Amino acid sequence: MDDYVVSVLSNIGMISFLALSAYLLLLTGEISFGQQAFFAIGAYLSAIATAMWGWPLWSALLLAAAAAAAAATVIGILTLRLRGLYFSIATLAFAEMVRLLFVIFHYQVVIDGEPVGPDGAEGFRDIRWVFENNVSAAEYMVIIYVVLFIVVALFFRLERSRLGSIFRMLGEDTLLAEMQGLNVIRFKVLASGIAGFIAGIGGAFYAHFTTYLEPQIFNVMLGVHGLLYGLIGGLGTALGPLIGVGLDIGFLEAIRAIQGYRMIVFGGLVAVLLIFMPRGILDEERVHWIRMTWRRWRNAAR
Amino acid sequence: MLTIDNVVTSYGMIKALKGVSLTAASGKVTCLLGPNGAGKTTLMFTIAGILKTQTGTITLDDTDLTRYSPVKIVEHGISLVPENRLVFPMMTVRENLETGAYLRVGKDRKAIADDLERMFARFPRLGERSDQPAGTLSGGEQQMLAIGRALMARPRILLMDEPSLGLAPLSVEEIFRIVEELNQAGVTIFLVEQNARMALRVADHFYLLEQGRVTFSGSPGALEEEEVIQRAYLGTRRE
Amino acid sequence: MIDFIQNCIDGVMIGSGYALLAIGFTIVFGVLRRLNLAYGPSIMLGAFVGTLLYVQFQAQILTVAIATVIGAVVVGMYVERLCFWAIRRGAAIASMVSSFAIWMQLEEVAAIILPERTYPFPALTEMAPLEIGPFFLRSEPLVMFVVAVALMAVVHTVLYRTRFGLAVRAVSENPSAARFMGIHIDAVMFWAFALVSAIGGVAGFLILATDQQVTPYFGLWVTFKGLIAMMLGGMGSLPGAILGGLVLGVVETQSLWYLGADYRDLSAYFLLFLILIVRPGGIMGQALPEQERAADRRV
Repeated sequence: MDDYVVSVLSNIGMISFLALSAYLLLLTGEISFGQQAFFAIGAYLSAIATAMWGWPLWSALLLAAAAAAAAATVIGILTLRLRGLYFSIATLAFAEMVRLLFVIFHYQVVIDGEPVGPDGAEGFRDIRWVFENNVSAAEYMVIIYVVLFIVVALFFRLERSRLGSIFRMLGEDTLLAEMQGLNVIRFKVLASGIAGFIAGIGGAFYAHFTTYLEPQIFNVMLGVHGLLYGLIGGLGTALGPLIGVGLDIGFLEAIRAIQGYRMIVFGGLVAVLLIFMPRGILDEERVHWIRMTWRRWRNAAR
Repeated sequence: MLTIDNVVTSYGMIKALKGVSLTAASGKVTCLLGPNGAGKTTLMFTIAGILKTQTGTITLDDTDLTRYSPVKIVEHGISLVPENRLVFPMMTVRENLETGAYLRVGKDRKAIADDLERMFARFPRLGERSDQPAGTLSGGEQQMLAIGRALMARPRILLMDEPSLGLAPLSVEEIFRIVEELNQAGVTIFLVEQNARMALRVADHFYLLEQGRVTFSGSPGALEEEEVIQRAYLGTRRE
Repeated sequence: MIDFIQNCIDGVMIGSGYALLAIGFTIVFGVLRRLNLAYGPSIMLGAFVGTLLYVQFQAQILTVAIATVIGAVVVGMYVERLCFWAIRRGAAIASMVSSFAIWMQLEEVAAIILPERTYPFPALTEMAPLEIGPFFLRSEPLVMFVVAVALMAVVHTVLYRTRFGLAVRAVSENPSAARFMGIHIDAVMFWAFALVSAIGGVAGFLILATDQQVTPYFGLWVTFKGLIAMMLGGMGSLPGAILGGLVLGVVETQSLWYLGADYRDLSAYFLLFLILIVRPGGIMGQALPEQERAADRRV
């Protein structure tokens, strides 16, 4: 497979984690501008683990995702009282704080005579675990997609489960959910934690793909992109955000003619799309219709 | 003065008004009674131009208002006192009244100022509180304010949507007394209510609206008051 | 102590610019119940028009100012029609997301028309700094402060003493009732947006003329400063916007002085986060605002 295609597909895979992270919170009715913070934590911590402490990728990934989840849980607790725009701005503030903290974060160890580690705004180079362990680009891509597949499959299970309905209920009407006796607090915090975990995984993959990290990468633009993907792909299913990612990084990337104008086209496309489909392409209604049609077709075929 | 002919209004696929016809005569108080969900507010919104009727017409004297926008409807002399009053809570009482005269501002500065004074004379409690934020007024006072605000447009007909809603009994009495006084001063009033007892006391003519249709038209006394009240709250019992 | 007061003075002057930006966000939020995330980039594009005239045609400072304002207003109209008017009946989220998408779009447009890292902007004034006792008042921020205060007075007059202002406030407090008064909601929203874009254009001009340069990051920067200032003071409150702007200016200047450049922005965000956690209503707002219901209510 063409190197370029592998690269693009890998990108789609990694960013999908970020999109799914934002998507989960959207289900519970919260718009988070800050999932990139957990993506960043996942990236930095996994890179530190492999490049500086000599850990293997798997454990580094788990550690990083767990740390991201922990941070996300704390933030989830702190922002419990906040709804709507207040919550969104708080997540924005937090994410920028994280980014700026990485700017002043210096931690280096000497390995083979060279300093290795995050060096504030100078960045974090040589995250070379993938190369040192002879994992090819194609193999890495497969790894990303296997994990992504597992996550998406879990989302699908979530949709059918009680927890999934609870999450959606929170999104529809929190007051109603409270009146049903649900411990809203516990579920909101749980959602935050899980979303953080997912973003952390994505960040870890990202760090080892690009081999270079700097705080500037994890800016608001990244986070809002993640959010945007879910909102245009549709909130009816976990495939929605993936469609969003594919549309931007895949489809538009493919159109060479608009190189350099991608944001202009994408931005305009999104704005126009939102006029006709304010809840995204695969919104709840459409997904429901698809499921009904599928069921009817299956029954008729019997 | 105001003639409504076979108005059909829908919310999506649900028909809220299924062909309503009625007349509000000039200089009189006309009441539309009916239970919740009968379509009273829907009718008010249709007259005010917020909702559009699919068939049927709304005529004010000789002008067909059916397709008019809310702005033009107010321009033509129909003023609505909305359900739940909807005063502007952070603006002062005076400013609220001024918004009522919005379409006249800049044209008759003196006349508006005079009208304001007249409003304060008619509703002394509003005068006392003229510089207070409207949100701090009691329910009854807010209702007075809403009525005053609608009157500032110098309408030809005043529409009132459930003026007694949410008010204490004493305030309800006061409001209906005001309705009578206004009518005696020459204001044409079309009033929609659930509180049939009070409404019948002031009405010159009344209609019953049940499930989107007018089921009765007559003067107070034409039907037993008890029956009217029952149908206004509960609708006609289906045998 | 002297440093502290000097920083406060500087902070208040810079803060007046932030206050104008916050006022812009606040009015749009009040009237449309939505956040306009394309506000910053619209102002930036206006500024780019200004710098273009300055660089290519050696335009006078007043011309640059007018060009900036007009540019900001024109782009603002584009944003209003596409992101807010067209999505009127939909959920508030859609508008906000749409404005973000347009933000991305405008950023790229800006990067394309003016690809360099930085462009010169005319200086606000050539006067020497004023000295009052041990304190310095630099002349550019001082001029900015004076103009900003004047503009705030103008905005106040418009909102509280004109027919248009009455309509704007009516629509902000209760759009349905406003309609019943014969107020044309769409027109009010459109012109309020135009007013806000103009305010933004002036604010942007003042800030850039104080720095004497404009960079492609300006759009993002404006959005953040405006949002932070608005939230600090209390979303939806005009006095709050002004206060928030001034507080932000002072906090930034103090942390720049005592902690260094790396900590300046960090302090601003930390303060914002803290306020939201502890007192979301902002300095001027209630402890726990109910207004947020309006933020997620479908219009």
